Amino acid sequence: MANLSDMRPVYVIGVGMHPYQFASDTLYIDMGLTAVRGALEDAGIAFPEVESAYIGCTGIGMAAGRIMFNHLGSTGLACTQVENASASGSSAFQMAVLEVAAGRRDVSLAVGVDKTGDQLRAVQKEKVSRLSDTATIPLVKYALMAEHLKKEKGLSAEDLAMVAAKNHTNASKNPNAQFRKPRTVEQVLASTLVAGTTTSLMCCPRGEGAAAAIVASEDAIRRLGILGGKPIRVTASVLQSETPQVGREIPSVTLAQRVAEMAYDEAGIKATDLDCVELHDAFAIEEILYTETFGLAPKGAGQHFLRDGGSAIGGRCCVNSSGGLIGQGHPLGPTGLGQVHELTRQLRGENGERQQPGARIGMAHMIGLGSISIAHILTKD
Amino acid sequence: MTALEKPDLYELDGTGPGLKLIFGRCAACEELHFPRTGYGCPRCGARPENVTAEARAGQATLLTFITLHAKLAPGITPPCVVGEAEIAPGMIEEVMLSGGAEQYRDGMAIVARAEEVERDGETRLACRFAPKEEV
Ligand SMILES: [Zn+2]
Repeated sequence: MANLSDMRPVYVIGVGMHPYQFASDTLYIDMGLTAVRGALEDAGIAFPEVESAYIGCTGIGMAAGRIMFNHLGSTGLACTQVENASASGSSAFQMAVLEVAAGRRDVSLAVGVDKTGDQLRAVQKEKVSRLSDTATIPLVKYALMAEHLKKEKGLSAEDLAMVAAKNHTNASKNPNAQFRKPRTVEQVLASTLVAGTTTSLMCCPRGEGAAAAIVASEDAIRRLGILGGKPIRVTASVLQSETPQVGREIPSVTLAQRVAEMAYDEAGIKATDLDCVELHDAFAIEEILYTETFGLAPKGAGQHFLRDGGSAIGGRCCVNSSGGLIGQGHPLGPTGLGQVHELTRQLRGENGERQQPGARIGMAHMIGLGSISIAHILTKD
Repeated sequence: MTALEKPDLYELDGTGPGLKLIFGRCAACEELHFPRTGYGCPRCGARPENVTAEARAGQATLLTFITLHAKLAPGITPPCVVGEAEIAPGMIEEVMLSGGAEQYRDGMAIVARAEEVERDGETRLACRFAPKEEV
């Protein structure tokens, strides 16, 4: 496999978002155009400079991109729709990055936009029965893992609530977030019990929204006069799918570790070099597990990293400063690009009251149903 | 005779409500897998004609369990209990447990048995695990 460091350097030159929100009458085109226009404005370029576009979505239907881009001027750009469940936006970003890295295009756009669709999953067409009626529901898997870890290493409901309270509170300072209320551990624990010790406020909401990122080559940055210091380099882009479960660890957690290690290797960094991480906290337990598998905390000590403030803004490596999936929201198509939006602003030092001091290196991580895991590392040159 | 809800996964073992689980055995890699599907061996990729059904006693070791408080799937009526169980050496599956959580503890032996459920207005026999000593 070719390494990104052996290819042309690729930079994020502009990001934009339409706030995540609960299901509404807002048209997907309005949300998508808001994010794309925001990214164009942020980059300081016009739409005709964009040579190719990847649109990540899961619930809109076929051929969502072209009819949206039509409203920005029919430039004839290459346009491809990408579906990879929760990781659709991350995968759209990867396609854009690889196309520029390979030298095929100089400026490429990734946009994630989604409405709450019919949630139809291919696994429902597999015609393979499972012993449990909830066997393909991730929430149940993670709630079972939380129960196992409660006995195994003393992980408590309070620890899970602390993740959620942190992320809800980060989201309360984020104008693009779906949830805008700071929450305490007590409030999270008092919300509706869903499965095991997992409560509703420990789970990400369903919703809609849009996020976009424009990537470009060094040639394009020079030609277009993009401001020095503003472009953020993409130093790793890795995606793998899971292998059979060995022992008690959930395959998606084992997979997340492998993908993170591959990403560190590609970027030439260590876990301790990361200043900020946006990760897949669809359920609070995931953040504790991934901080361990990513090497931010020793195995089995994720809750201590959290309790000690290691993952807080201003801590050793802030985790989900956007509010994560729990607080900022998880509209599927946009989610991975919302992470790129957050990290880009962190690494530029433009993140306001959610700024991680001195942030230089960040990682965006998503899981897509199935499951696949994808990670991107962004670096301030 | 009431029909089984998922006859591709289990069969009555002839001792009242007891169930056997239907695994797949692959002739190419000799490995066991569950569930058996019509697609072949998920371990080595061998074609379906290499896989034969192998009914094994519905006995398992319960590893972890939780109570579901919300209706997360159409077929369930909360509160209900689901768990992870080792149904054969090294093979961990999510299973549905009979009754309330108070009867269960980690590491206990559980057995598969048929329990009546309503599906689209018809009664079906579903697989629910219960503590071994109770049966
Ligand atoms: Zn085989």
